[in-house]
Amino acid sequence: MRTSRLFIVLALAPGLVGFSTSAQAETRNFELYGKIYTKWLYRNNDNAGVLSLGNPFWPDNMSGDNGVATEFELNIKGRVGDNVQAGVRIKSRFGALWQDWWENGDIRYDAENTSGESLGMNRAQYMKLRGYWIQAALPIPFVDNVLVGSSDLGMFNEWTIGKVRYIDRDNGKGIFVQGAFDEDLLRFHAAIIALPKLWVGPQWSTGVGDPLVRLPFYSQDWAYGLKLESDPYDGVKITAIGTATVDSEVDMTDPDAVGSDNASCTDELGNAIPGCERDGAVDWTNRYTNVVGTLETQIDTWDGGSFNVLLGASYQSINPDVTGNGVLLNNGVYPLVYDPDMFGAFARVRAELYDIADDTSLKFEYFNIGQHFQTIFGARREVDVLLTDGFIEGGQVATLNSANEFVDFDEAYYETVIGWHGATAILEYQSDLELSLEGTFLTYNTNAQNRDVDEKYPDFLHTDGFTDTDLYDYANVYDRGRDPRSVFRRNQDRMSAIAVLKGLWHTDLGNGLDVGLKTKFIWDSDKRSDTTDIDDYLGLMSMTRLWLTYPAADGLSLTVGGQFDYWKEDNRRGTIEQGYGDDTTTKVRPWLALAYTFDGFTLKYQFEYFYKDAQRERDDDRLFHVIRSKASLEVGW
Amino acid sequence: MKKFLTGSMTLLMVLYGGMALAGTTIEFSDPKGDDDGPGKYTYPTDAVYTPGSFDLTNVELEDAGDKVKVTVTVKAKIEDPWDSKAWDGNGFSVQMFVIHIDTDHKAGSGHKDGLPGFNVTFADDQLWDKALVISPQGKTRVQAEVTAKAAAMKKDILIPTSVSVRGRKVVATFNKSDLGGDLSKSWGYQVLVQSNEGFPDKTDFLTRKVNEFGGQHRFGGGSDYDCDPHVMDLIAGKAQGEGSEKSEQHKMLGTFKCNADGSGTRAVLQMVYPEG
Repeated sequence: MRTSRLFIVLALAPGLVGFSTSAQAETRNFELYGKIYTKWLYRNNDNAGVLSLGNPFWPDNMSGDNGVATEFELNIKGRVGDNVQAGVRIKSRFGALWQDWWENGDIRYDAENTSGESLGMNRAQYMKLRGYWIQAALPIPFVDNVLVGSSDLGMFNEWTIGKVRYIDRDNGKGIFVQGAFDEDLLRFHAAIIALPKLWVGPQWSTGVGDPLVRLPFYSQDWAYGLKLESDPYDGVKITAIGTATVDSEVDMTDPDAVGSDNASCTDELGNAIPGCERDGAVDWTNRYTNVVGTLETQIDTWDGGSFNVLLGASYQSINPDVTGNGVLLNNGVYPLVYDPDMFGAFARVRAELYDIADDTSLKFEYFNIGQHFQTIFGARREVDVLLTDGFIEGGQVATLNSANEFVDFDEAYYETVIGWHGATAILEYQSDLELSLEGTFLTYNTNAQNRDVDEKYPDFLHTDGFTDTDLYDYANVYDRGRDPRSVFRRNQDRMSAIAVLKGLWHTDLGNGLDVGLKTKFIWDSDKRSDTTDIDDYLGLMSMTRLWLTYPAADGLSLTVGGQFDYWKEDNRRGTIEQGYGDDTTTKVRPWLALAYTFDGFTLKYQFEYFYKDAQRERDDDRLFHVIRSKASLEVGW
Repeated sequence: MKKFLTGSMTLLMVLYGGMALAGTTIEFSDPKGDDDGPGKYTYPTDAVYTPGSFDLTNVELEDAGDKVKVTVTVKAKIEDPWDSKAWDGNGFSVQMFVIHIDTDHKAGSGHKDGLPGFNVTFADDQLWDKALVISPQGKTRVQAEVTAKAAAMKKDILIPTSVSVRGRKVVATFNKSDLGGDLSKSWGYQVLVQSNEGFPDKTDFLTRKVNEFGGQHRFGGGSDYDCDPHVMDLIAGKAQGEGSEKSEQHKMLGTFKCNADGSGTRAVLQMVYPEG
């Protein structure tokens, strides 16, 4: 902080001698942090833009595979008083290509032209106030501090109100109170959080765009959270979290509401409606309510291991009068089960035994996630709620509301675990040679016959086939397999097994060559309809990756690697009426990577060739030769 | 009788040989509840800094053939809230530990200043000769930071060949050859607990700052200037985990002086010598 102050003072000093005192006074209390981030993205296709996968629903003009763009952010923090501080984050809009010289955001034409006024604000690099907060240690008994404004919502957990993804880290706004009645026995964190109008709710909305909501009223949509923590014994920690997410709308039966159904308080025959009377006030009605609670016990009293028990329950209420049925209206692409009154629960138990032999540990996890467990505000990505490596690389989330958009080809994907029931065991050896062997077996609480996926359970349209995240697209034009959110199927009788071997050998060769290996095998069986066996699915997927990383110089590491996948899927895709096909998929992906850090200059680069050969019995075969690369350069000061 | 004596001698030789081959193990304990630096430091307010995260309870250095295995234990379970594997890290996020070793116990021999950002110095007759850095950051990042910010100390800063997390423990392995010899109980040791800062100040070695008023990612209870020690916990006294070591820590870290203009003198640390 001292450096920043000095920098500002020195920067303002030349030529301002007469004002130096006041200039210092004005900047002394400013702590500044700036960052410039530049990304290059290239691929052998004809798609211009600088984000591999952008907005799936409202296509933006910044998504694409070929481009370079830069953003700048400025963080300002200051002391208001001895116990109060405040800060803001100002950041430029990302998406303008270096070639977009004169785009000014003043969109006056509906097509690209030579005016510089056609691409809109996405290409204008305008500075936006992204976050603002005030933190105060107020003299209130038992209260340590109060935060008003932006937060990443990381104080609760993935199952209730989840930490928002990194790029959204300042978008959540609320009032947060943190304190303790006793530092060991009872700490608390309470919050009231403004609901994001275009995410937390049915159809990813708190009313906007819902066909049954004429006048969206999202300014009174809030989430409430309370976390209580206690360390009753040394090494024992108990955490209880309760959250409620409430989406309200105007009660259109209230005669005072604009556009009310009962504005005149008479029915269609002209008769007075009993109890209907204008009173100058407008009532609200709940559109959607989701209550989630978890109780977690972490036990670390024994040097030989640790234990964790996490239990949770949820309740959701949908008001059908003001909530369109997105399962029906949107082909099953909907972030919740359309059940007006639904309870759900889950349990997860973990045990970790350290040093069962020299440098060897064993982890075990049992999980049982109810098919009706519902958390609309749970973490959408950048978390991992289960130990297993899972089906796709990335992590597992506990919500159907997972987010796999606004990502580049090299970023992780997240799959939902709703309905998963099984266990994982992982044997780990950690020394200069790191080895881990995972075995997971699971079946599904979502197994059912003749499930209503027309009006109640969302199936996300694409329910079949192993998911290919290397070549993912929203509309599934590449036949990329099951949507990572698709856990409900009309007919399902599924069980799966996952085996993973990971190795990383830190050798003494040269400056310390690392040799890495990861191989995964998945057995996935789904008998689907119990009336026939012609639709029985059996997938045998293997994925093997080998890489070498070498620290070529201080701050410079080079990686070369390759991956080979072979998937054999019987009855991958089809219908009972039209038949199913046996498909095989072969993928090869050699890559090069570089990471360089020097004096605050951080460069990353990845180049890969991606070959995919999908032999499809019922459809045309698909062949892909993709060359793509991504680089990023970041400096902060 | 002769057979008995012969057998006994053989057994003694085997046992002695085994003892001679067994590596030295050096262990330090630290009392709980002293993760407050010189006495008034507070944790940042963000939820990732769980109570006890920086409360050192035990350190063990073990001679393991051509390696030295270091196990650091803190009060709370070590978590990885920032997914360190995504940035080539070591399986944890928040903490950072540095073990300073005085191998010769000679006045004027070694480094007086701690690593940049810790804002500490060592007593004149207890200068450190080797510093073992256990950071969540991967080897490449740590090497780059050493080169950029501690170049004069570079040859004496050791980076582990492997790091793993086991509950409340972090286990790191170092090449013994980099240490310059077998572990010795005649050496002096000092273990500093800090927090990993991925975006450190330009002169700080991956350290999180301590301010007068704590923030979301800043410790509180210190000074806004860099005259105060940026250390949350260390070993003190005889490092046997006795309650009195808490006040000895406070006294040691409290030897700094901050003037109104930010100048001052830094805290002077003492090593712990297992053999006294």
